[in-house]
Amino acid sequence: MNSKSVWGAIGFGLALTLGAHAQQQPIKIGLSGPFTGGSAAMGVSMRDGVKLAVQEINKAGGLLGRQILLVERDDEAKNELGVQIAQELINKESVVATVGFINTGVALASQRFYQEAEIPVMNNVATGSLVTQQFKAPDHKANYIFRNSANDAIQSAMIAETVKRAGYTKPAIIADSTNYGQLGRADLEKALAERGIKPVATEKFNIGDTDMTAQALRAKDAGADVVLTYAIGPELAQTVNAVVKIGWKVPVMGSWTLSMASFIDAAGANGEGVMMPQTFIQQPSTPKRKAFIEAYQATYKVDRIPSPVSAAQGYDSMYLLAAAINQAKSTEGRKIREALENLQTKIEGVVTTYDKPYSATDHEAITANIPVLGTVKGGRVVPANAADLEGDNALRVKPKS
Amino acid sequence: MQNFMQILVSGISVGMIYGVIAFGYQLTFATSKTLNFGQGEALTLGALVGFSTVTFLIALGLPPLAAYILALPIVLAFGLLQGAVVERFGVRQAIKTKSEAGWIMATIALGIIFKNMAENVWGKDPLKFPSPLSEAPLTIGGVNLRPMEIAIVLGALAMMLAVEAFNRRSIYGKAVVATSNDRDAAGLMGINTPLVITFSYALSSLSAALAGVLIAPITLTGANMGAALGLKAFAVAIIGGLSSGLGVVVGGLILGITESLTGFYFDTGYKDVPGLLLLLLVLSFKPAGLFGKSAIKKV
Repeated sequence: MNSKSVWGAIGFGLALTLGAHAQQQPIKIGLSGPFTGGSAAMGVSMRDGVKLAVQEINKAGGLLGRQILLVERDDEAKNELGVQIAQELINKESVVATVGFINTGVALASQRFYQEAEIPVMNNVATGSLVTQQFKAPDHKANYIFRNSANDAIQSAMIAETVKRAGYTKPAIIADSTNYGQLGRADLEKALAERGIKPVATEKFNIGDTDMTAQALRAKDAGADVVLTYAIGPELAQTVNAVVKIGWKVPVMGSWTLSMASFIDAAGANGEGVMMPQTFIQQPSTPKRKAFIEAYQATYKVDRIPSPVSAAQGYDSMYLLAAAINQAKSTEGRKIREALENLQTKIEGVVTTYDKPYSATDHEAITANIPVLGTVKGGRVVPANAADLEGDNALRVKPKS
Repeated sequence: MQNFMQILVSGISVGMIYGVIAFGYQLTFATSKTLNFGQGEALTLGALVGFSTVTFLIALGLPPLAAYILALPIVLAFGLLQGAVVERFGVRQAIKTKSEAGWIMATIALGIIFKNMAENVWGKDPLKFPSPLSEAPLTIGGVNLRPMEIAIVLGALAMMLAVEAFNRRSIYGKAVVATSNDRDAAGLMGINTPLVITFSYALSSLSAALAGVLIAPITLTGANMGAALGLKAFAVAIIGGLSSGLGVVVGGLILGITESLTGFYFDTGYKDVPGLLLLLLVLSFKPAGLFGKSAIKKV
């Protein structure tokens, strides 16, 4: 063998390895959420839901013949950190899409970088009504922000409707001072006004506050007949603890965060009976839900999912994105967005079955008919009306436009 | 009137907690003119060590109250040790070299290290501390309060009285007082002042750890529980005066009560404002604090 052919052989071998290497290069997908602090239960459950979906997809051969690689980052529910992570994921990690965002504030601050880079974002937990409206037409040519959680407009309408149906006329709103609490309070006031109800008191507290006696007493003094909340787990627990402490027997309802494990655990007996909208309740009401719950429990060795809603929505968001990438046959952001807006396959998810969930103008996969009212009973979230999840009611799908 | 009493009582229990943490600031400031900026983390660690001990003892079959009482000495001992570590690694060198700012950075850094340690050992989720007393509220004279709130006030008072009695009655306490009055003179009289300073740090963390286990049953326990409280207590220490043990307690009560009263009678959204206004007023008109003795610093 002369030296020329040796070099030829090496070159050929090199080309083969490089070729194979290019084919095996994984598809990078970003994951941003809080894994520390008061929102951690939601962030961790969401992440674990997403990871479960990725494991399943990778086991079944991956996407476009490539494996999915999640790039996880802890945004600590801090807006500025979320922005930093968005830039890192886009510029350094070159992700093809990002899933996540628990906190509305973080989502609003970080999304603009994805929008500018034309990289799709699947918001799987953040509920602020503004999240999908930030870059909508006609001000923007294309909107790269999608969502598969029940937004605050849906949730507040549901709470207001329950208030009206139960015949309460004097609600008090107690909300935290974050973007989430205050935007939610505004949505709630609007939804109540549409039904001719005006809150008798509107109270506020900060994240980390441990004593809500003043807020509860003011609401009681104003003659409220129901307490509506918009906040997250630990502070919600302090709120119901204060309500019980001052000897006030009053029903408590609020946004879906009343299902967080940190609320249920810290409030204990005081938290029994509170009601909140839920897209998913940890009950095997469909075969898909049963399989998901069992897989989650087996993989993460837990009995009660810390935040079942976040886990289910995280899981579904990954399948929606995967379907879009498969359909686009590309990892180019623009093509993934177009595929999401016109999904041809029906996706059987945990929350619902997604049949054309998005269009060019509608980026909300969850509609008002999908969530059910949940309540805390024996330290777990169960449907407030068992009939809501029985028989044909179990699977609620978005109506065709 | 009943509402006023209810608000007053809840202000007192919050204020007592601020007071105990601020008391820790006062202890080290008296002997060494330095503070532990990781006081909030000392509180966190105390609460978490308490959490682990109490859950362990309950798992052995003890009732929650017995487990809590048995856990207290362990938590207090841990507080002493943790404070001594902070002094040894964060403060001693700075005092020796008369550095103006070294101890500030060092205690903040140690605080961050302790917080990260707590996150790694106990996880990042807030944990529910098993309550030693009944969680059902009591009604006393028309005012509802949780048994744990009474325990907070009594526990805090007992701890501070014990430290005061120790300082006034025992020979070792007199060494502490002497060091506070004039460190150089005390050193010349044969008092081991570095040891006194280490001891004051140990006591300071002990009071924070106690505050941690006292509030843990009524809030959630977690790596982030101390940060906001440590900062509030710092404001209390400035309002009350860093050189007076009585001052920080009164300062804590003033802040706790104004917060609750403003929240109730004015607007819950402005709860924190009067306390901070008070802080600014005190800094402008009586920089040494309401109860502090102003000292002339000789350069």
